[in-house]
Amino acid sequence: MKYLFFPPTGVCCLAAALLLFPMVFSDAFYRDIGVAFLLAAISASAWNIVGGYAGQVSVGHSMFFGLGAYAPLFCYTQWGWPPLAGIPVGIVLSVALAVVIGLPTFRLSGHYFSMATIAVAELIRIFFGTWALVGGAVGLQGPAVARGWWDLTFRGDLAYYYIFLAVLGLLLFVTFEIGRRRFGFYLRAIKASERAARSLGVPVRLTKLKALALSATFTSAAGSLYAVKTGFIDPDSGFGILVSVQMLIVAALGGAGTLFGPLIGALILIPLQTAANTWFGGSGSGLTFILYGGIIVLIARFEPGGLHDLWRRAAPHLWGRAHAA
Amino acid sequence: MTCGVARRRICGGVRMLLEAHNVAKAFGSFWAVAGADLAVEEGEIVGLIGPNGAGKSTFFNCLAGDTLPTSGRILFDGIDVTRATPEAHARAGIGRTFQVPTTFEDMSVLDNVMVGAFLRHPHRGDAREHALRIVELTGLRPDQPGRSLGTPGRKRLGIARVLATEPRLLLLDEALAGLTPGELREAIALVRRIQETGVTIVIVEHIMEVIMTLTRRVLVFNQGKVIAGGTPEQVVKDEAVIEAYLGRGARSHSRESGNP
Repeated sequence: MKYLFFPPTGVCCLAAALLLFPMVFSDAFYRDIGVAFLLAAISASAWNIVGGYAGQVSVGHSMFFGLGAYAPLFCYTQWGWPPLAGIPVGIVLSVALAVVIGLPTFRLSGHYFSMATIAVAELIRIFFGTWALVGGAVGLQGPAVARGWWDLTFRGDLAYYYIFLAVLGLLLFVTFEIGRRRFGFYLRAIKASERAARSLGVPVRLTKLKALALSATFTSAAGSLYAVKTGFIDPDSGFGILVSVQMLIVAALGGAGTLFGPLIGALILIPLQTAANTWFGGSGSGLTFILYGGIIVLIARFEPGGLHDLWRRAAPHLWGRAHAA
Repeated sequence: MTCGVARRRICGGVRMLLEAHNVAKAFGSFWAVAGADLAVEEGEIVGLIGPNGAGKSTFFNCLAGDTLPTSGRILFDGIDVTRATPEAHARAGIGRTFQVPTTFEDMSVLDNVMVGAFLRHPHRGDAREHALRIVELTGLRPDQPGRSLGTPGRKRLGIARVLATEPRLLLLDEALAGLTPGELREAIALVRRIQETGVTIVIVEHIMEVIMTLTRRVLVFNQGKVIAGGTPEQVVKDEAVIEAYLGRGARSHSRESGNP
C-alpha cells in the first residue's frame, strides 16, 4: 500500500523537471516543443482511458478533439463569449457525442469499434468543411488581442505551458484514482476478457460508455487548449485522422493502459517529429505520416506493450548487473 | 409461476434453487439441447456428464445466461432468469467458471479476484479484504501475476474469482479437467470446502473419479437430451448410458463380459 501515499521518487523528479523546463530552456523554440509535448501527452492520456485501460481502440478521437477545438472559437465568433466559457460547451457536446457513438458501437467489438470511430470522425470532418456557419474549409479564428485573462490569449508560450501542465497533472491524477477503484478494475477486466468480466457481474456496456465519456471530456479539453493556443482551427487540424492517429501512437509507443505510458510516448515522439520537420523542411506533414507508420510497424512487430513493457522486463536485469558489478 | 414454485416446495418438502423446464437450443436446424429438465436442491452437488457433443456445454451456457435458449424456462430461486444477461446472473447469485480459463493476464491473482469481489463490495478496501480471504481459501499466492500461472493455478483462480462474487449457485464447467492426480485431489477437496460453506454446485465433468467422489446425483446427457439420472453408481450401470458412451456393440459386449 505504501506506493499510494508516497509517490515514487521518479514521479517527483518528473514533476520537477516539467515544472522547471521552461525556466531552463527559455528559448521560444524549446518552449514551443514543450507545449506541443504537453498537448500530445494530454490527448494521448485522455485516449488512454478508453483505448488503453478499457482496450477499446478508438481511431476517431479527433471527433472529440475537434468539437473541443471548435466550441470556444465558435462561441467567440458567434456571440463574443470568452473562449474560457466555450470550453465547457465543447465538453458537453463531446460527452453527448460519446454517448450517441457509444450506445450503438459498443455492441460491436474489436476492429468494428475502431472502424466505426474512424467513419464518424471522417463524416464530421467533411461536414464541418462544408458548413458555412463554422467557417467551412477555412475554419475559425480566436481573439487577436486579449480583452482579459479569460480570453486565454497570451503572448509567448509560458502561460500556455503551465495551463497545459496543470491539466495534464489533473488528468493523470484522475487516471491514477480510476486505476485504484472498482471502475479501473472493471476496465482492465473488460480489456482482458469481456465474457469473463460479464460472468463476474461487470456491467460491460455501461462501464465502456462511462470510460468513453470521461475520455471524451479530457480529449475535448485538449482540443480547446489547442485552439485557444493556436488561435485558429480548421477541419483538418481539428478532425483530421492524423489527430486521432497521433493519440493512438503516442499512447501505444509509451505503453497503452499504463499511467505514464502516454507521457513517455509524447516525450519521445514530439521532439522526434519536430526534429524531422525541421531537418527535412516544409513538407512536414507527409514525413509525419511516414514516421507514424514506421512506429506502428515497430511496436506491432517487436513491442506490443510499448516502452513501458520493455522497461519492466529490462529493469530487473539492469539492476542485477549494477549490483553484481 | 410463483404459485407453481410454492406448490413444489410444499410437495417436495425441499426448496429447489434452480429449475430448468424443457430447455432447448437450436443452432440452425441442429438441436444442441432438445428439451432438458433439471432441478437442483439448495446445498447439493449435481453432476452433468455425457459424451462429447452431447449438449452439456450448451445447456450449461443456457443456465449461466451466456446462451439464450430457443425455448423453455429457467428459474433461479423461483425467479425467471431465462432471458437475463450474464451480469444479471452474477448479481442474482449464479456464478460460473469457464472450460478454458479466462484469466485476466495483466493482473495479479489478487486483482483478478478483486474484480469478482467488487460485485458485493464496491469499496476498494472491503473488496481487497474479501478477495484476500478467498485467495487464502483457494491456496493461491495473492501477488502472483495472472500470466505466470499454469493450468492448475488458472483453474483455481477461475474458481476463486467467481467465489468472490458470493454465489449461491456455482456452475463449474470442467473446472477440474487437465489436472494431475495429485492436483485433482486438492481440487476435489476445494470443491468440497466450497460446498460446505453452503454453496449449491452444478458440475460438468468428464472425469468419472470427480463425479463419483463429489456428487450424489448425476444427469447423463446424450444428443441434447437427459437419458438417465440417479446416483453415480446407478448411472454407470445404466444400459442407455453405456450405449451412449461406448456404442451399441459395446453394450452387448459388456453384458457378455459382465455376465459370463
